[in-house]
Amino acid sequence: MIGPRDPVLRFRAVTVRFGERTALQDVNLDVPRGQFVALTGPNGSGKTTLLRAALGFLAPDTGSVELFGSEVRSLSVAERARRVAWVPQEESPREDVPLLDYVLYGRYAHLGWLEGERARDREAAVRALKAVGLEDRAGDGILSVSGGEKQRAVLARALAQEAPLILLDEPTSHLDIAHQLDLLSRVRELSGERGVTVVAALHDLNLAARFSDRIVVLSRGRRVADGVPSDVLSEELLARVWGVVADLRRDPRTGAPYLLPHHLVRPSPSGPGTFLGKGPVHVVGGGGSGAPFLRALSEAGYRVTTGALHLLDSDLETAESLGALTAVEVPFAPIGDEVRERLRVLLEAATAIVVAPFPVGPSNLPNLEEVRRMLGQVPILLVRRPPGEEWDFAGGRARALEEELRQGGARSVAGVTEMLATLAAEPVAASSQ
Amino acid sequence: MGAVAPAPTGKPLGRRPWVLGLLLAVLAVGVFFSPILGTVTISPDTVLRILLHQVSGGALFSEPCAGSSVPASGCAGLIEIVWDARLSEIMLAVVVGAGLGISGGTLQGVFRNPLADPFLLGISSGGTLGAAVVVVFRIGVAEQNLLLPLFAFVGAIGTGAVILVAARSRFGSVETLLLTGVALSSFLSAILSLLLLYSPTGSLQVDFWLLGNLGSLDWTQDGIAFGVVLIAGTLLATYGRELNLLQLGPDVAQSLGVDSRKVRIRLLLLASITTAAAVAFTGIIGFVGLVSPHVVRRVAGSDYRLVLPGAALVGAGFLLAARDLSLVAFPGTLLPIGIFTSFAGAPFFAYLLFRRRQFSTMGAP
Amino acid sequence: MAWFAVGVIVLAGLSVVGVATYYAVRPGSPSGPLTITDDLGRQVTVPLDPARVVVLGPSVMDSMYRLGLRSHVVGVDCYAPDLGGLSSDYSSDQVALWNLSSSMCVQTGPTFDVEELLALGPQLVLAATIVSVAAVEQITQTYHIPVVMLQPATLTGVVLDDQLLGEIFEVPAVSLSLTNALQLALSQAASFQDNLTANGTPFPTVLVTYSADGNGYWTFGPGTFGQSLVELASGASISANATLSYPELPGEQVLASDPQYVVYGTGFGINETTYAAGPFWSQLTAPQDGRAFGMDSNYFTEPDPTMILVGLPQLIAIIHPGVSA
Repeated sequence: MIGPRDPVLRFRAVTVRFGERTALQDVNLDVPRGQFVALTGPNGSGKTTLLRAALGFLAPDTGSVELFGSEVRSLSVAERARRVAWVPQEESPREDVPLLDYVLYGRYAHLGWLEGERARDREAAVRALKAVGLEDRAGDGILSVSGGEKQRAVLARALAQEAPLILLDEPTSHLDIAHQLDLLSRVRELSGERGVTVVAALHDLNLAARFSDRIVVLSRGRRVADGVPSDVLSEELLARVWGVVADLRRDPRTGAPYLLPHHLVRPSPSGPGTFLGKGPVHVVGGGGSGAPFLRALSEAGYRVTTGALHLLDSDLETAESLGALTAVEVPFAPIGDEVRERLRVLLEAATAIVVAPFPVGPSNLPNLEEVRRMLGQVPILLVRRPPGEEWDFAGGRARALEEELRQGGARSVAGVTEMLATLAAEPVAASSQ
Repeated sequence: MGAVAPAPTGKPLGRRPWVLGLLLAVLAVGVFFSPILGTVTISPDTVLRILLHQVSGGALFSEPCAGSSVPASGCAGLIEIVWDARLSEIMLAVVVGAGLGISGGTLQGVFRNPLADPFLLGISSGGTLGAAVVVVFRIGVAEQNLLLPLFAFVGAIGTGAVILVAARSRFGSVETLLLTGVALSSFLSAILSLLLLYSPTGSLQVDFWLLGNLGSLDWTQDGIAFGVVLIAGTLLATYGRELNLLQLGPDVAQSLGVDSRKVRIRLLLLASITTAAAVAFTGIIGFVGLVSPHVVRRVAGSDYRLVLPGAALVGAGFLLAARDLSLVAFPGTLLPIGIFTSFAGAPFFAYLLFRRRQFSTMGAP
Repeated sequence: MAWFAVGVIVLAGLSVVGVATYYAVRPGSPSGPLTITDDLGRQVTVPLDPARVVVLGPSVMDSMYRLGLRSHVVGVDCYAPDLGGLSSDYSSDQVALWNLSSSMCVQTGPTFDVEELLALGPQLVLAATIVSVAAVEQITQTYHIPVVMLQPATLTGVVLDDQLLGEIFEVPAVSLSLTNALQLALSQAASFQDNLTANGTPFPTVLVTYSADGNGYWTFGPGTFGQSLVELASGASISANATLSYPELPGEQVLASDPQYVVYGTGFGINETTYAAGPFWSQLTAPQDGRAFGMDSNYFTEPDPTMILVGLPQLIAIIHPGVSA
């Protein structure tokens, strides 16, 4: 056997091929005792293959897979069952077996030929059911319980095996959010309190970050990242491996990193004939009105700037998350000279201006004033305001300014779609930035 | 194929081991009273007296036929009829029924398919071909009562072996096995038809074999059948737990400690031997292997540790009941037993299908 | 503990198999005064002149009757009593002639019923029609009732069978006169044929058919008694070169061959109208010219004295009209 510090599961230069396709390429992995490892990666990256190799379902083409110090394939099937338990992604039982019996199936590897279940086997099964919170349902049939309960029953069976290593393959993929949290926190408890080693293939990176000690990332059969969640998860990793643009945040409650995905990585649109090109589009808004336009423009590939906004404005958050340059004023104060100057800079750098339907008061009236100064220099789009809504809190001056803008050539657009269409139809701007 | 279980309610049918005892008792009663029935009319008390006379080695009832109308053959003839003819036929029914029942249960478990039956693997065609070869080519006339079952057995096992080789190969999935069995069956049937074209008298004998019959006339054959079915059947019954686990799928079973491939092959081998031993002496008797496991599941639960021995008991009872019923329905005529088992089995099979459609919930294959 | 139980059961099974096989390969040795070799080459020890005999097959019954041994016969073969019984195997003429009754029935089809056989208490079984050689072997070995298989391969075999019966039943004189009559009939047919060949007379083409349906006419191919009879009667059967023993000749083929004589088998519900409904019947010359004749089917299918003494001359008379044998 192995000592307490030796790895429980060890992959040495493992390569697995299926015909022409390489599922795992030269993978090295050491899992120490008691660790909870989240195995993650895009579809087809080799997670399931890795788990199957660890279970001994397939033999690697090169390299070796060691389970508690012995080559997996050299162990008898029963011996493997005593060392590692498996919770598959999905199970479709045919018969309506009572849950207790279902969990007792996990005791097979501990029984001799023709040996009946002993008291200690029953106890182990009952303990396992308790650990997953199903002890009241012991007599119910496996076909009559819900999906979440079924998955917990399978986990209980794996627990009943009393194996020191548990492998889980997407155990939460068919569960609702409550059951996902429930299952993973139970697994976490196991690994923490009982010293059981866990390797779980998980799609959900946030769950992985929250519950696991270590994240291993596979991409196209190779191990590309490995470490504690806060080290491993980054926006760059997500873009590189998954091709997704996301924001990395920290969960204030758990301290774990979490990712907010936005959109897929796309090549930046460019080429002649498109208005997008050189300069950003500036959105004037506030109070949440600018957000949809900012987002739409950003999705469409434009760079965006916005302002002037007050510090606690929700549009500001959107702007920050998009990485947009902003002119910011302290809350509740009227827009001061410094901020106004900054706003002017931004406006002059823009190749188009979009005025969102924001509520205008004395403190942000200067936004419209500065836009008026830009009349005739760049296309200005005015988003139509919803009728009947009061939006001018500046004594009529906002209305007058917008009327001036309209007289001066600003175009009226109904919403996001029309805005994008109008911008796309604009002739290519002369070099401006 | 979908779930075999009845509509899932909160509490599924638990294990009822005591049902096995009940089945055994019913079977014993059946065996005791069946010798009363036969094509030649013998009064029940004469039958019982003869039975007790023989069992006690002559100590009881020195004149068992006294008081009954003795036929031309005398009392010795009556004793031969009851003891040698009827009883050996009854014993054969029990042995063959048990063998077919337990292999049917095994195959339903291995293939995870409630419609599996011992003849699914083409074993019946192989056995029939073996028997036909003996008949058509007139092999060893004097020893034919041994050679026919032997060739039938070899033919059946040979077919089973081909399937097993397929099971060991890379393509040993359940679907491949089933398809191989079907293809093999068709192929062998074609060869059989060709052979029989050249031998119409042979055709008569083979038809007779295909209909299945229990008239073994021979304690020796009973003994061999009994021995083989006992050994293979007992070994099969020890795999109840493994079969339970195999129902979860070969991968899950493997992760729990069952070497799925090895166990499946062993089970198929044992089931083939049991079936081959059964049909070698009686010809093809259908539906017993299909129906018996389902009856057990309904009364004793789906645990294979009970289903296998239970199916043996139910199969034995079923075949015996078929024999008795055929004699009650057509007194004086001995019909091939296969006709009766199909008669009873086909409607039950239809009922099975009907229930599955009604209650098939987890339709996932 | 479980190991032990399983081990015991396996051992029990093995010992049962062993004992049973031992008894199988060492059957009880028969005893009796006479040992003969039957038509399948089996050595059978039989009692002399047994009083209770079961006959399986009308051809054997024919011989027994002609040898004056009808009183020895206590049982005959039958199809299942509820499915036809006696009349399935024996024509009404035969039943009447041989004075058979259903109480003599031993069911041989669809399944062999040994109980009925045992109830009759026979000392000997003479079998031509057998359902299963294996079953018959078991009768001998389990119940020690000798079974003599009378399945002649040729017409000469019929003669030999009658000799054999004479030996068993100790009726040498009757047997001799019967065998003489048989041999006479056969040799007469043979010399008739020699005459024809010597004169260069061609054999008339003949179709002997025992059934007809919409596709064609069922006839006797090579290796059958029907075919042998036609050959012996100096006829040229149009099915002489068929590949199967009991082929169905398609209507077109029969029309193309257009045999000079058509002989159709009657009995068991089949008569002339069956054949008249066959394909191209009205275009065949033989029926139109009155050269289609019916004969009892049994004369072609049952290899017995009647075939030689009645069937053969009848056939010769039909296809060689006006020529004395």
